[in-house]
Amino acid sequence: MREALGKGLLEIGAKYNDVMILTADVGDSTRASYFRERYPDRYFNVGISEQDLVGFASGMATMGLKPLIVNFGMFLLRAWEQIRNTVCRMNLNVKLIATHTGFSDSGDGSSHQVLEDIALMRVLPNMRVVIPADSYDINRSLEKVVTSKGPLYYRIGRDYSPPITRDIDYEFEIGKAQVLTDGDDLTFIGAGVPLFDALQAARDLKRLGISAAVVNLLSIKPIDENLIEKYARKTGRIITVEEHNVYGGIGSAVAEVVISKYPVRIKMVGTNGFGRTAKNHRELLDHFGLSKTALVNSAKEIVFV
Amino acid sequence: MRLEMLINKRILLFSGVSNAPMERSDAKPISIEEISSISQIALRARKNVIKMQLYDQSIHAGSALSSIEVLATLLFRYRNDCNELVNRNWIILSKGHAAPALYAILAELAYFSEEELWKIGSVNAILQGHPETFIPGVDMSTGSLGQGLSFGAGIAASIKMMNGMGRVFVVMGDGETDEGQVWEAATHVVTRNLNNLTVIIEVNGIQLDGRTDEIKPKTRLGKVWEAIGWNVIECDGHDVAQISKAIDRALDSQNPTVILARTVRGKGFEPIENTKKQRVSPDIARKFIDA
Repeated sequence: MREALGKGLLEIGAKYNDVMILTADVGDSTRASYFRERYPDRYFNVGISEQDLVGFASGMATMGLKPLIVNFGMFLLRAWEQIRNTVCRMNLNVKLIATHTGFSDSGDGSSHQVLEDIALMRVLPNMRVVIPADSYDINRSLEKVVTSKGPLYYRIGRDYSPPITRDIDYEFEIGKAQVLTDGDDLTFIGAGVPLFDALQAARDLKRLGISAAVVNLLSIKPIDENLIEKYARKTGRIITVEEHNVYGGIGSAVAEVVISKYPVRIKMVGTNGFGRTAKNHRELLDHFGLSKTALVNSAKEIVFV
Repeated sequence: MRLEMLINKRILLFSGVSNAPMERSDAKPISIEEISSISQIALRARKNVIKMQLYDQSIHAGSALSSIEVLATLLFRYRNDCNELVNRNWIILSKGHAAPALYAILAELAYFSEEELWKIGSVNAILQGHPETFIPGVDMSTGSLGQGLSFGAGIAASIKMMNGMGRVFVVMGDGETDEGQVWEAATHVVTRNLNNLTVIIEVNGIQLDGRTDEIKPKTRLGKVWEAIGWNVIECDGHDVAQISKAIDRALDSQNPTVILARTVRGKGFEPIENTKKQRVSPDIARKFIDA
């Protein structure tokens, strides 16, 4: 995913000369360094200081520039209060591109794995939250994200990016979800890498006679209320899946819509603690119950019970 | 006061002040007339801050009274409301709790009417407990300490990148320098040599819970800034001529400058002067105003 990001930013840089890339000394790891090589005058490494990073970007946004912060998601959380009090309170045009989120930084362990950011970002006034499913989604969405006005948190992983949206065609729009597979008995709603497992689970469930839809939520805030309501009505059961704590994350965001529009049963699949070190990202998804098998079992539970 | 009258008042007030971008080394020494005008503004603002306590019992009057002369000098002499973002000067009150001082001076300079000051604290008032950019004349929403310098650095770096002439002033408290972000930003400013930015720290020796000496001493503050690479100037933060001279020197400096302005918390309001007390009861305030 970070490769797609690094290359995408180069295209953005060529097209928009007011785009600035800012990082807190993780340029190489996030692939923001590609931008540094091509546009050194518009690349700012502020040193290992995330609070200053956010304030500095805010000053640039006030001057009419388009600052994009590219940083490890975990360490942006260190500047959460600056994001709230400086960026969001003044509704500044600062974009936060958070890499290494979820379990994607498998080797570094729980200190680096980000399972709380969706909750912390979507609660902020003026903040929007977008999660591309894979590198194809990054290519579809990056320019629209960068050229949209106001604060936005863009959540991506590190390297593991199984193809989720490669074979389908749609226009990305902030606030719009996309149906990846249609179904009648239940709907998986999620974002990011776990959608790959949801799609596989839907295929397995078909063999068991269960028809499962899979929805790529894409925009957690603003959220696509119409599509969520439509699938609540159509399938009557929802399983949310996220590489994030279930408290306040995607499950909660979906539940907030469903409870007021058309209440149906929701099962929330996600984490409720810290991560740990593993050989790779895949291993952690399996370990923490975000695998195809776990989702098939959840589906059976919600359909047959 | 009607808008038209406000605008006329502002034209009158600023008739001697240029809105043109400032050149390096163009600062003329402050005149006796300017000192007198700023001192008068400061005097009225000081009275009005004390009076604001009658209307709002949550304002930080003690901290505001420490800031009066610094803010009056900055806003009267160094503010230029040039329409071009890169050529205007930016004044950031990082110690946002001194907002009443900023408001009282902005009212003196006719950014809004004096009546607004007496509405502070009511739910429909424009003026907020801490500065917000929707208030006329406020350049940054603050209130959480330590965030102004990073923001100012972002503005200063943008001005340099776009070859602008604008200057950035960041006003902080001495207690505020406890915040880690201040030092992230201080080293960053030096790295980029943002010499179009000036920091003014009010050294009043008191932070929220008491004397800085007892909580976290600030006696080596100047040495620390100097060691990082800042040009350090000290002055009396209640003396308009000294403040102005210090700022003029800062504007000519090749390095970013920090001015350590010695001030007194609660200056000019005897019941709280040089204490950690922020305010008194409306009765005591009223007696003081009447006297």
